[in-house]
Amino acid sequence: MAFRFALAALLGSLCYLDRTAAFQLMLHRPLVVATLMGAVFGNFAAGAQVGAVLELLYIARLPVGASVPPDDTGAAIFAGAAAAVASSSIGLDGGSFTALLLFTFPFAELGRIADRHVRKVNGRVAHLTAEAVDRGDLRAVEHGLLAGLTLFALSGALLALAFSGVGVAVAKLLLPRFGPGSRLEFSALLPALPLLGAASVYSCSRTERTSALFFLTMGAVFAATVFFRWAA
Amino acid sequence: MTVPTLSAAGRRSVWRRQFLLQGCWNFEGMQNVGFAYAILPALREFYAGRPEEALKAVKRHLEFFNTQPAMGTVILGAAVRLEERVAAGEADPRAIGTFKVGLMGSLGAIGDAFFWGALRPTASAAGAILALLHPLAGIVALLALYNANHLLVRFRGFSAGMQGQEGAVAWLKAAGLSGKTEDRKLAAAVLGGAYAGAYAGRHAVLGGDVFLAILLFVLGVVMVRLFTALFRKGVSPSEILGVLLVVGVLILWD
Repeated sequence: MAFRFALAALLGSLCYLDRTAAFQLMLHRPLVVATLMGAVFGNFAAGAQVGAVLELLYIARLPVGASVPPDDTGAAIFAGAAAAVASSSIGLDGGSFTALLLFTFPFAELGRIADRHVRKVNGRVAHLTAEAVDRGDLRAVEHGLLAGLTLFALSGALLALAFSGVGVAVAKLLLPRFGPGSRLEFSALLPALPLLGAASVYSCSRTERTSALFFLTMGAVFAATVFFRWAA
Repeated sequence: MTVPTLSAAGRRSVWRRQFLLQGCWNFEGMQNVGFAYAILPALREFYAGRPEEALKAVKRHLEFFNTQPAMGTVILGAAVRLEERVAAGEADPRAIGTFKVGLMGSLGAIGDAFFWGALRPTASAAGAILALLHPLAGIVALLALYNANHLLVRFRGFSAGMQGQEGAVAWLKAAGLSGKTEDRKLAAAVLGGAYAGAYAGRHAVLGGDVFLAILLFVLGVVMVRLFTALFRKGVSPSEILGVLLVVGVLILWD
């Protein structure tokens, strides 16, 4: 298990770097991260299952200007690890799936707080860099950037370690306490979560032209899904 | 004064470093350290043997800077060209700051609307839908759709910037990012609708009743409308998830 956590910290650190500091290739998106965490903890399909829903939940919060959006990467680390472990111990039924997705929001908010702290410390790094350049040290720019990257990477590794640890604990200790009946009742909330994600996409893309298109497509795909499933 | 033009190695170095524009993102100067870091190889070539002027140039780029990171490449390329002219004594150093400040706001707005408001939702919705078929298909679709556009803008934007201010402005006009934003928003709406329809349909199937299915569809539309209205009021997804969690606990309590 120690190897799995070390791997989770390493991958988490890389994903967090992609989130703000480097590249922005979307390796930090919940679908990618939750699948990776699922693979690390033994079931990549379970990780992908929660990642596919988490992917859209926070997409309406944009990283514009000084605003720091909720940390959906951290939420995916928790949910991916928990889903993989839960699927091997009690099976990932609808209720557990719903509970894991609902439990993600404190991690998204904690990750956001950590991100703000790193950026504040980076302010001090930038200040020291400017002072060193004033003294004639050009290499300070490279050292300053390296310090910033290191802070982002370290914070990412620690968050990944903590969030995956809590995820494994929730899957092993908390979810099995609820019986199948309770989990079935909890699954009543499941349909709301993908709709929350779809609403996030809708609010991002909403214009006069796209509004009708969204609901027409929703109706067509809904009818096709119901028809083909019943026919099958 | 003759100044060496940027070597191919220097250009490659600046191009690689632009991926770390946000490496030391902070609330005071935002991308200032990242910008200075990215342009440093060019400054070292232009001001070789003139350390005092090199220092002044670096200080110019440690001033506040913030824009959408992919669009920052346009400004970076054009700033390299301007620095070349400043080093040759053909331009006023203050023109660089004026140019950067003048462009970063508008490019930030264009880039935010295109990348965060349109392209990312499109790629994410496509990925989430395809992940229902196979997780890897979803991931590949998400990364390919986003990065095909993202890397192209970074590459072409930087090349255009390297042709000077006029080249940058001409590329921005030709790229037509506003029109492309509208197209991506249409695609996002279609994919988002398909995603909602697919998930709502999956649950409606379990009822096995046509009227129940229609009722569930209407409920789905109402919920999307309700969540969207809440987002517009400034309610965050975390708060909605928190309320749903409380509802879930109450269901269990009962």
